[in-house]
Amino acid sequence: MIQMFHVSKSYEGGLPALQDITLKIPKGEFLFITGPSGAGKSTLLKIMFGSEAPTEGQIILDGRNYVRIPSAELPELRRRIGFVFQDFKLLPNKTVFENVALSLKVMGVAPSDVKRRVARMLSYVKLQHRANFKPLQLSGGEQQRVAIARALVKDPAIILADEPTGNLDPALSIQIIELFKEVSSRGTTVVVATHDKMLIEKYARRTVALEGGRLVG
Amino acid sequence: MSKKGSADFFYILSDAFRSLRENIGTTILTSFTLAFSLSIFSLFVFVIMNLNGVVEGWGEKTQLVVYMKDSQALQVESSKAAVAKVPGVRSVEFVSKEEALERLTEELKGHEGILDGLDANPLPASFEVSVHEEFNQPERIAEVAGRIKALGWVEDVQYSMEWVEKLSAFVRFAQLSAIVIGVFLGAATLFIMSNTIRLAVYARKDEIEIMKLVGASDMYVKAPFVLEGLIQGFFGGLLALCVLALGRYALLGSVPSYLRFAVELPFGAPVFLAALIGGGMLMGVAGSLISMNRFLKV
Repeated sequence: MIQMFHVSKSYEGGLPALQDITLKIPKGEFLFITGPSGAGKSTLLKIMFGSEAPTEGQIILDGRNYVRIPSAELPELRRRIGFVFQDFKLLPNKTVFENVALSLKVMGVAPSDVKRRVARMLSYVKLQHRANFKPLQLSGGEQQRVAIARALVKDPAIILADEPTGNLDPALSIQIIELFKEVSSRGTTVVVATHDKMLIEKYARRTVALEGGRLVG
Repeated sequence: MSKKGSADFFYILSDAFRSLRENIGTTILTSFTLAFSLSIFSLFVFVIMNLNGVVEGWGEKTQLVVYMKDSQALQVESSKAAVAKVPGVRSVEFVSKEEALERLTEELKGHEGILDGLDANPLPASFEVSVHEEFNQPERIAEVAGRIKALGWVEDVQYSMEWVEKLSAFVRFAQLSAIVIGVFLGAATLFIMSNTIRLAVYARKDEIEIMKLVGASDMYVKAPFVLEGLIQGFFGGLLALCVLALGRYALLGSVPSYLRFAVELPFGAPVFLAALIGGGMLMGVAGSLISMNRFLKV
């Protein structure tokens, strides 16, 4: 469950990135955030993830009310949120397996469990044959799926995905969204930022539109 | 330790050793930088400490040398007693002709050939006299010397107060400059170290960012770097130790005895060992922690 009340964000010397956003996302919901580039989609996700602090307003995550998430609580919060970054943020010198395992290792999961869960997740995103490859040996779509596997492997309560289909052809995009749909049907809250109209129309889920940092629908 | 705790510990250790292996180039570079900075700095500390020792030694040394006429040689005890009675005299030490020659031979070590042509011992027997502290000034020591000279059997009295004063003034100046230079050297060492480590950390800033983004605690991110700093510091200290020990070994044979103080260890070998390696490890860890902090805010 994510709630935002009158959240605004502005950067020094720039136009406001977000203005007076009030938004309620119930547990298990699948929500699209849409809007043109620079509308504030990424900023909104980053605020939910705690990597940006709102200039004004409050945010409630899992029943806890934050004006600003204290840095000591960030690791715990991030272990419950799987974030799929627009630029993947994979470690180029580590294998696919190790990249996915990282999000379990930082939680202190025992090595044998890590092995089992990562293997299962890689076959879930159909990458088991790429486990020992380095990210740069993979196609854009495969890297995208590694990033998604890393976000999903820890069974997060919330998935935040920033343009997760931006690098994929339509067939793969649909595959990825199907994956998120399945996760969401098991109770995980999924928020996907995208400007892909085809996806939004095909899935007919609740969609909020941003423009110039404001909610427009 | 809980299951989670032991898994954490296992990951931190294996990550640290793996990244040491993966970044072997920067690890070696950092160790070498540390080693050379530490060597230069310790060399400086040695020279300062040894100079201190030399000046302190001078303070306690003989201030007057009383040379005896050869004819007096048989009345050592009574002569000694006579000198000891002179006001201001603290102690009197007899140096026989043979002892004097022995000392000279020792001091000329390596150049003994100079003495080859001698068939008789030309050195006079003497008394080495030190005075009470309150007499340790040029005018008062001259007064004491005058009184001793007045004893009939004295050939000559030498005192080098003025020379000692000039020299110790020079040494004080040298020490002061050494401290000033040492402070700059220390600052430069820290600067070079923290920059070397910062570069190594900077090269891995993406890794740090990603670890933070998937939920790693600061402790988890820092630990491998701290361990690496510790290991680099250990090897840096060890390397510095080798450089200094080899340098000292090479110099020891060729340095004349009166310059020996420059290569002498000012404290015991174990202290020296612990200080260098401990210092290296401390710098390695401090360097890692300082350089990391700004990359942790993700």
